[in-house]
Amino acid sequence: MWTIFLLIFIALTIGVGAWLFFLWAVKSGQYDDLEGPKYRMLDDEEKQED
Amino acid sequence: MLRCDHCLLEVPNRKAIFDRIKEEEKVFCCDGCRGIAILISEEGLEEFYRRRNNSWLPGPPEDKSIEPAAFANTIRQVGDDVETEIILDGIRCASCIWLTEKILLKTEGVTYARVNYATHTAKVQWKPGHTNIGGILTRIKSVGYTPKPFSAKAHEEGLRRQQRDILIRLGTSAFFSIQIMMYSVALYAGYFQGISGSIKVVLQIVSLALATPVLFYAGMPFIKGTIRGLRNLSFNMDVLVITGAGSAYVYSIYQIFSGGEVYFDTSAMIITLILLGRYIEAGAKGRASEVITRLLALNPKEARLVTNSGAGVKSLESVSISSIKTGDRIEVTPGEMIPLDGIVTEGMSEVDESMLTGESRPVSKKAGSEVFCGTQNLYGTLVYKVQRTGKETVLAQIIKTVEDAQARRAAIQTIADRVVGFFVPAVLLLSAITGLAWLFYGSTPTGAIMNSISVLVIACPCALGLATPLAVLMGTTKGASSGILIKGGDIIERARNIDTVVLDKTGTITESKPELVSYKEIGISDIEALRLAASLERLSEHSISKAIVNAAEEMKPYNVDEFIACPGKGVKGIIEGKEALAGSRNFIESEGIFNDLDTVLTSEMLSWVKLQEHSGNSVVYASFDKRLSGIFIISDTIRKEAGEAVEMLKKMVYDVIMITGDCIDTAVTVAGKVNLDEDKVMAQRSPVEKAEVIKSMQKEGRKVLMIGDGINDAPALIQADVGIAMGRATDIALESSDMVIMRSDLRLIPDAIILSKKTYKIIRQNLFWAFVYNIVALPLSVTGILHPIVAAVSMTLSSLSVVGNSMRLKSN
Repeated sequence: MWTIFLLIFIALTIGVGAWLFFLWAVKSGQYDDLEGPKYRMLDDEEKQED
Repeated sequence: MLRCDHCLLEVPNRKAIFDRIKEEEKVFCCDGCRGIAILISEEGLEEFYRRRNNSWLPGPPEDKSIEPAAFANTIRQVGDDVETEIILDGIRCASCIWLTEKILLKTEGVTYARVNYATHTAKVQWKPGHTNIGGILTRIKSVGYTPKPFSAKAHEEGLRRQQRDILIRLGTSAFFSIQIMMYSVALYAGYFQGISGSIKVVLQIVSLALATPVLFYAGMPFIKGTIRGLRNLSFNMDVLVITGAGSAYVYSIYQIFSGGEVYFDTSAMIITLILLGRYIEAGAKGRASEVITRLLALNPKEARLVTNSGAGVKSLESVSISSIKTGDRIEVTPGEMIPLDGIVTEGMSEVDESMLTGESRPVSKKAGSEVFCGTQNLYGTLVYKVQRTGKETVLAQIIKTVEDAQARRAAIQTIADRVVGFFVPAVLLLSAITGLAWLFYGSTPTGAIMNSISVLVIACPCALGLATPLAVLMGTTKGASSGILIKGGDIIERARNIDTVVLDKTGTITESKPELVSYKEIGISDIEALRLAASLERLSEHSISKAIVNAAEEMKPYNVDEFIACPGKGVKGIIEGKEALAGSRNFIESEGIFNDLDTVLTSEMLSWVKLQEHSGNSVVYASFDKRLSGIFIISDTIRKEAGEAVEMLKKMVYDVIMITGDCIDTAVTVAGKVNLDEDKVMAQRSPVEKAEVIKSMQKEGRKVLMIGDGINDAPALIQADVGIAMGRATDIALESSDMVIMRSDLRLIPDAIILSKKTYKIIRQNLFWAFVYNIVALPLSVTGILHPIVAAVSMTLSSLSVVGNSMRLKSN
């Protein structure tokens, strides 16, 4: 019985953790622009040329 | 002809501005471009010129200043900094975003700047002491974009918030459903193998705790929809979802206490799968309202009114468009949009009407010519008398056509809801009858309620919500990877049974790029006719000239003195001390060199010219030293694959037709080259007539697919059952069409039809798989044979069949 409770507790912790992470991701705008990052990836920081 | 180093537009030598920037000789078309180039260079952002692609265009000409006050209520405090969101007008590509971000970050005091590629919105944070909103707006304007306050798009903001809301609910219900499924598998195993009573109750209570937020938080939109529906006595899909999920939930709570099996997984999965379907749909539909906004953006808001203050003295006054009446006179300078329809009274210019007609060649305008709202004045200042205002302008009528067409479509989509309207009450009724019948035949009240609820649970088609959107998603993804953008599921449904294909000529069958196809030199001295003509045409802006210049690319041009361009007619100048001309027949004749060309040309030559004119090609004559030196034939190239594509279409559909605004001769010639018969050609049709033609075909019961580009095709594209825009078409045509062919390859059109047929077949199979479990299980549950937990497993199986079946689209 004790094992079951422990496993349920671990499963719930992981699950709720993932859910909270997801909520944070949506609220901080990670899903707002699904188009731009693929271009931004190609932008180097200031190119040092001389 | 020189090219502006900043905006890449061609600029005649005599108008060019030269400057030295960082020890490099630069050419500019105007002071604006020079200013921006200096700014970019001062900030060390020359990288911009290396990374931009050639389709980059300069921003709109600097107009009235934007009041920082309008932004005041969009600013909010974030820690020590303040933050605002600004909509940027004129963003066209990824390098615009790069430039704006860098320019903003280099402004003193700015701590954060990000531009959203999808919404064209910049989020900026800055330290209040170091700069202010006015400074930031000036920075943005200095690179050519027009900042607008974000609140102006309150409607779109609402849509965005709604989409984020669905995403959060979907994520929440998915995470909790996954958890519930873990406990359910344990309970399933317990059902088949045996499980100790206390552990079973613990697992059931955990499931209850996890299912509660799914039903009451993630399911809230459905609960609200159900309440709204019941209040109006209309049964929508929400009622079914909530009755199904809610009864499974309530029944399961009851089962915990009576020691039976629970169905919390069924309850949660119904909500999750339906939400997933809604989320996929919302993404696809999001762009629908943009077309009207884009058309309205063509409408200028201000005009310069010309008032006569006596004795021929003109005075100008900037007024808002709404205060202008028919008969007023308006001045339009080069580069400006024409604000209302009217007739030119003074001035001479060329106007780019491509946004209305799709015709890429500028149209010359002089006193007496008609000009239209939303077109762009190119070279000279025009004064014109207003003839139509407000809703009567051609642009306004096109906008109205688009709006009407969209309203019509919405009506069709409600049919699906009406079907559900019958389905839901039928299921509710069946469930009630089942309960009563069991009671009547002597069952206990508990057994009767159990059976009636299990009918509800089983009848709720949870895979149904997924069947269509998932197949559509797979179909559109498959399409996108091969260059076909499909804008929604209803389009796939319509595209599969197309029987008539209507092709536009310019820009669809042809490339809309004039080219020199042949020319004849008429032996004079040792001067090559093409080289002569090209030297002259080099200095002209006209697109026909470019055809000649391109053909003579490798020849060294002559120096031309005293160059004069007569818009819409031709060009002339002095080469090596002798007069040289190039232009239309009328131009050559009117310049007094020949009174009648017929007398100059040999009969053989004449019939050749006649033949060319008959094929609809443009003919340009050139003369040198008062003698005819050459004749040039300019034609629009037909796409290489056009013939093949037409053949493929002919095999697939009942009828292939070509429609065009051009004259019949050109049209028939072009049609002949792609194996279309003369009776399949419709020539000289205006944009509205094109739509009329399609409408009358539809009245005959035909299903019409239209392919075109340009705003002039927009009414026809919308009228057609399926409208396809060719790649690199105007924005408006892209928005008003149902599909977009991304590569300029006509062969993608038969591909698109095949893909639609395939996707529709998958949708039908999906619906079959979604329903078959219900249909088989329903009689079993009515008769009380089927244990509800088996039904719950079969529900999951039905969802898996739907997902697996949809995946097939992706693989082949």
